[in-house]
Amino acid sequence: MNKVVGRVSETERDEIQALFERRNGLNELAKVLTPDNIELYEKLVKDLGKTGSDFQNWWSRMAAKYSWESDENGHWEIDFNTCLISLIVPS
Amino acid sequence: MQPYKINPEPWQKGMAKNITFIVTKDCQLACKYCYLVGKNEKERMTWEVAKAAIDYILEYEADFKEESVIWDFIGGEPFLEIELIDKICDYLKTEMYRRNHHWFNSYRFSFSTNGINYDSEKVQKFIKKNKSHLSIGITIDGTQKKHDLNRIWKGVGDKRGSYTDVVRNIPLWLSQFPNAGTKVTISSADIPYIKESVLHLYSLGIHEVNINVVFEDVWKDGDDILFEQQLTELADAIIDGGWYQEYACSFFSETIGKPLNPENDNQNWCGAGKMLAIDAAGNFYPCTRFAAYSLRSKQPIIIGNIQSGIDKDKLRPFLTLDRTTQSPRECIECEVASGCAWCQGENYDAADTPTIFQRSTAICKMHKSRVRANNYYWNKLFRKLELLGERNEFESNKPSVKNNEPC
Amino acid sequence: MLKYLVILLDDTSTAYCHYEAEIRTPRLLALEDLAKAITFGMKENLRIQFVYPNYSIPREYVELINSIDHTNIKPVCLADADDIAVGKLSDFSQVQSANVVLRTSIPELLSGIEQITNIVFDIERVNLVITDIASMSDSDTCSYREFLKELVGSILQRCKAGERMPQLNILTDRLMLTAMNNCNAGEETIIVAPDGKFYVCPAFYYGGKSNCGSVSDGISIKNPQLYKLDYAPICRKCDAWHCHRCVWLNNVKTLEVNTPGHIQCVISHLERNASRELLAGLRGIGEFLPGTEIPEISYLDPFEKL
Repeated sequence: MNKVVGRVSETERDEIQALFERRNGLNELAKVLTPDNIELYEKLVKDLGKTGSDFQNWWSRMAAKYSWESDENGHWEIDFNTCLISLIVPS
Repeated sequence: MQPYKINPEPWQKGMAKNITFIVTKDCQLACKYCYLVGKNEKERMTWEVAKAAIDYILEYEADFKEESVIWDFIGGEPFLEIELIDKICDYLKTEMYRRNHHWFNSYRFSFSTNGINYDSEKVQKFIKKNKSHLSIGITIDGTQKKHDLNRIWKGVGDKRGSYTDVVRNIPLWLSQFPNAGTKVTISSADIPYIKESVLHLYSLGIHEVNINVVFEDVWKDGDDILFEQQLTELADAIIDGGWYQEYACSFFSETIGKPLNPENDNQNWCGAGKMLAIDAAGNFYPCTRFAAYSLRSKQPIIIGNIQSGIDKDKLRPFLTLDRTTQSPRECIECEVASGCAWCQGENYDAADTPTIFQRSTAICKMHKSRVRANNYYWNKLFRKLELLGERNEFESNKPSVKNNEPC
Repeated sequence: MLKYLVILLDDTSTAYCHYEAEIRTPRLLALEDLAKAITFGMKENLRIQFVYPNYSIPREYVELINSIDHTNIKPVCLADADDIAVGKLSDFSQVQSANVVLRTSIPELLSGIEQITNIVFDIERVNLVITDIASMSDSDTCSYREFLKELVGSILQRCKAGERMPQLNILTDRLMLTAMNNCNAGEETIIVAPDGKFYVCPAFYYGGKSNCGSVSDGISIKNPQLYKLDYAPICRKCDAWHCHRCVWLNNVKTLEVNTPGHIQCVISHLERNASRELLAGLRGIGEFLPGTEIPEISYLDPFEKL
């Protein structure tokens, strides 16, 4: 099932989009950075943790704010172009 | 929701800085319409040049204020240099992060490839490593007949076409990038194949066909009539066949074919100067089209190099150039001006003096033909969708019908 | 519309603007071409100016030149009272002309402020031309700002003491103007070089640029609109109205004749702002040009406000 359950503001969209981009950047950097680059590697590990939790916090904050419909087997997705939130439930 | 697919906006609405590495001037193909007059097998970018360019660009962060960046790789055929590109991308990621550069949070790696070695192990490994930041376009011109008309192998006596070598990689490409589009270039000899080619690309599963006529003065008498006929037939096929719901063709756009206000719609079409290109010698250009290998009859416009940096004076003409200053009167007063594109490099190459301030009008008749077919397309589509009455903007731009007044 | 025809009589004719006459070997314009150039100027109703080398030209040339109303531009050593005399600071100890072109580099200028002030008051009209603008650095522009400040102070002091108001292009022209008044090479002025060809200005001839016709075949300027103010995106929004808007320097710095480089704009705006200071100072002495205002601005390069 793929159902539109809400919409966030453009500012809220920009916030999650920036976190999304950064998380992707960190994940792909992790593929090329080796532990022998101590300084950068430690920074990356810390950053991955923080970005991941900021990302989760955004969803928790928005879910509380907008009270979107949910499903225990599903998850929400955002369309960055339209700011629409969809509930995705695997069939 | 729109009942028809529209051409998607470019990433970051086209506001990202575009930085192009000309990694090689070599290509497996010798396409007949290729504007690169100086292709060769010798000029390959070295790692040292690429690194110096990156170090300069990232060091002078204040001179590159755009929020996002597209690191673009072109050739020749860029994937011939996949090992260098891989090294460049790794260095870019690491350095953007190490320097806390604002682009680390918003970047893409972009490629226009002929698709021939798309499935090679090295290219696939690279794709896997950088998947979420990639934009890859494979150029396929349409049907085998149309594709092989121009896109032929280099140095092969019997002029062997490259269609089969490319089309075999399309399913893999689309499985990795389902929303990817292809770029089709139309020259005089291609006009009879436009309709069948676009439909063929749709049938391959390519949902976005970005197609344009070449800006060079190659057009013959009657080409515009044939072009209009092809586009009209294409409009019929797309609408009657229901393709419009999920497939887009950039020839048809609701915004083209309107007059433009000289003051409010005065921006330059082309992004040359806002972009930056680097060649194997470490020279900087306002766009690849200003490098020597792209120019037929003019000197290259070099705006700096990796040693001395960018000469900002050389960028001033590009950054102050607007539509009306470079356009002849016929373009300023044109009633169907919107959507009529130009390439600053071709303007420069074709100009009477070495200037970027003289717009080439070689595509004038072709644009007007496109506008007529485009009007036909939207009239037909909206009638079909029974939406005609709701389209105020469309209605207000239609020519009014005057009643005959009695003598 | 063309108004002026400048005829370079010889390859070693004196350089009278920002450029250098790079050719050292004398070569006169052919007498036949000189006659054609003069006829062209007469038919097109142009004001003709002849630019001389530093040697006496043959009698038949003088006779031909004297057959038409004209102005002479000569090196200081040859200039008479009615001629425009061209020279550098060291040439101006004994000058008869009322109208001079003083060509100077920035280092010469900075070390010669006292002499320049004297020249400005001794001679009716002085056109100061900086010959090394293209290579000026940021520190040079700071020095130039100081030079202008000091020059304005000296002028005000002497005016206060009762001397006449001098005419110096870089400081006083802006006070009198109400719109752009530039060199206008290619639009109002065209030159004939010693090869019998037309060029936009002498710098284009000495710089090896393409000609725009010949005295035998007529003028053909390609992309003529680019020499007009309306086609200069930075200049058309600028109010440094006295600026030369030198199309040759433009081309050197930006590769386009209609686009100035940063340093040219800065120099012209330092002069504009110094004119503003001069105007304020003169009004401290007495009523001066009521109704003329030069507004305060926050930039030195109009590119920044586009």
